[in-house]
Amino acid sequence: MTPGSDPETVLVVDDEEPVRKTFREWLEGAGLGCRVVTAADAEAALVIANRQPIDLAILDWNLGAGSDGLQLLEDLTVFHPDVVAIMITGFADQATPLKAMRMGIRDYLDKNQDLDRTTFLHAVRRQLEKIRPARRERRLHRELLAFREAVEKVLPLVQAAAALSDPVPLPAAVRSLFRFVLRTTGARDGVLLARSYDAEREPAEVCRAWDTEGRRLDVALVPFARSVAGSVIGMQEPSTMEHLDRAAAAGAMDLQPFERGRRSLLAVPLSVAPGVQAVLEVFDKQGPGGEPGPFTEADRRLGAAAADIGTELLRHELAERQTQRVLFDAVGAALGASEAVAASIQPADSRPWVPANPEDPPPAAVMDRLRQGLAAADAATDAGESLRLAEAVRVLALRHGSRAVAHCTRLVEEVRRLLDDTAGTGEAPP
Amino acid sequence: VSDTPPAPAPRDVFDELLALLTPERLLRDPRATGEGVTVCVLDSGVERALLEEKYRRQGVALHSIEGAIFTDAPEPLPYAGRQSTPHGTTVADIILTLAPRVRLFSADVFGPRGSCEVEVVVRALRWAVDVWKCKVVNLSLGVPEQRLQQVQRRLALQRAVEDAYYKDVLVFAAAHNEHPLTRSYPAAFAPPLLSVDKHLFADPLQFAYRLRDQVEFQAHGRGYLGPFAQEPATSWAAPHLAGIAARILSLRPELKPFEMKTILYWMYREAVH
Repeated sequence: MTPGSDPETVLVVDDEEPVRKTFREWLEGAGLGCRVVTAADAEAALVIANRQPIDLAILDWNLGAGSDGLQLLEDLTVFHPDVVAIMITGFADQATPLKAMRMGIRDYLDKNQDLDRTTFLHAVRRQLEKIRPARRERRLHRELLAFREAVEKVLPLVQAAAALSDPVPLPAAVRSLFRFVLRTTGARDGVLLARSYDAEREPAEVCRAWDTEGRRLDVALVPFARSVAGSVIGMQEPSTMEHLDRAAAAGAMDLQPFERGRRSLLAVPLSVAPGVQAVLEVFDKQGPGGEPGPFTEADRRLGAAAADIGTELLRHELAERQTQRVLFDAVGAALGASEAVAASIQPADSRPWVPANPEDPPPAAVMDRLRQGLAAADAATDAGESLRLAEAVRVLALRHGSRAVAHCTRLVEEVRRLLDDTAGTGEAPP
Repeated sequence: VSDTPPAPAPRDVFDELLALLTPERLLRDPRATGEGVTVCVLDSGVERALLEEKYRRQGVALHSIEGAIFTDAPEPLPYAGRQSTPHGTTVADIILTLAPRVRLFSADVFGPRGSCEVEVVVRALRWAVDVWKCKVVNLSLGVPEQRLQQVQRRLALQRAVEDAYYKDVLVFAAAHNEHPLTRSYPAAFAPPLLSVDKHLFADPLQFAYRLRDQVEFQAHGRGYLGPFAQEPATSWAAPHLAGIAARILSLRPELKPFEMKTILYWMYREAVH
């Protein structure tokens, strides 16, 4: 039995009471860590199966009263499709192996030949060893489904957040991911690192890090090529490490500030998009009693499962950001009709102008200057200028909040009306 | 019933010949240094200065490490002696630990973008064989089966491996770390290459032939330098076997892949028996 998990349930069905008693004693005396239930006939077995999960069934081939173990197994699979069975038979040669295998029978024990405590327990152990990993997988899968459902509930909220007033919707996604990974692995802390590379950009490499609450970490990051994260991307799968300082001392890599002094690490690479890599790092695993320990193979597999969801979340986030960028570009292109507008909004001798009421129309002077600018401006603004202006809008959102952004939006609507009027395409605004 | 064990079967000529293939004779020969063997580390680049410094401190002079960076472009970019991630340096260090006198080429298929496609691996493999004339290629990078569903791409990789085989190049490919639960390419193309799973051996020159789901060999799964080097991984096992092969090749450079497999197999068999 895995610590902290439910024990497997073994169902023994035999119409002879001494046989049931003997099997129960053998199973309970062997310390297999499983729960044993017994039934004298098919009907009693099905009643049990209706009430609780059955992992392994040990069935007498001949259950008396005309019923047989194979038929019972067929009925049991209705309740528990994953159940496997060991058939106890006095006439193995009469069994139909192919059908039996399809039904879930994994072993036979012949009452007349090889059935004693040793062979019986050997067969049971062998099946339990196969069942346990499969059960763990199923449990993990259930947890992942639950996690995914939770995330799917969060995502619409993230999507609904006004992009301009909430320019970094990453925290919700990161927090969800970390909550799941930290809870299931027993890690104490974690960081998400993302790196994007674009040879056309200056600098070409941009690295960012977020903590478990989704807060951006304001630390100087080491170059990706010499980082643990870079190495995990090279490994292409979740990897574990102990005593990070010692490993770094050997050379070939540098530790990030938040990696120094860590005892254990589980690092999970996420394939987000071409040119974008992300690595989820969790640190300092604690056992059930709070004792420190290394991340296990099970943690690594769990990390692999979390990577799939993390990748999905980050891809979604990337798409969100691209949507925001389009929005910024649209605002930027509209405002870019005249540099003079910015000067009108912010006279040289005053503080930045923010409307008292976002519903107020822009001042007449501003609109006049805008009209002049539009008349002279080239309609096609270059991408760099658009981005610069988009960034200005973003800063406006951060510094002055939603009211300023609301006014900005209203300004864009005014610009559109002007453009519609000018171009003669006067479609009524929505 | 007699207590006397049966007399051993008479040893035939093969037994007598193959008994000569011992690790002592082949791997611990003073000439078995990797000298004269050209090895390509097809990986994430190699930090040249770091390795040169490490081996210089040990009193070992390395041949100059050369290489190229492979991207989507048809021609590779020049290698500036840097790693794109530390993985490749760990792999190169393992090979140099076992066979310090090999001539090493770094085929960096990650590059600054930090990711690579199968097509880039294929191009780099062909470059290592045709341009650098490498005798040994180590591929500790693998593509899990679920990420290589497209038959055409899989076939392109297989063809490149087979072409290397027909040119007498020994390709060492790491199995997936969860082998055999997950298959990894090109390790699953086992016949024309040497597929390697991980195992922890007392001596890094030890290895085993244990055919299991298309992967034939096991070699030492721990490295010596860099992050995760101490964590058992097939990425570190493949270069151990490549290093062992390089030692043997420095005694007999023209060995073909199937000859090398046979020698490794018989060496393991003799060591076990």
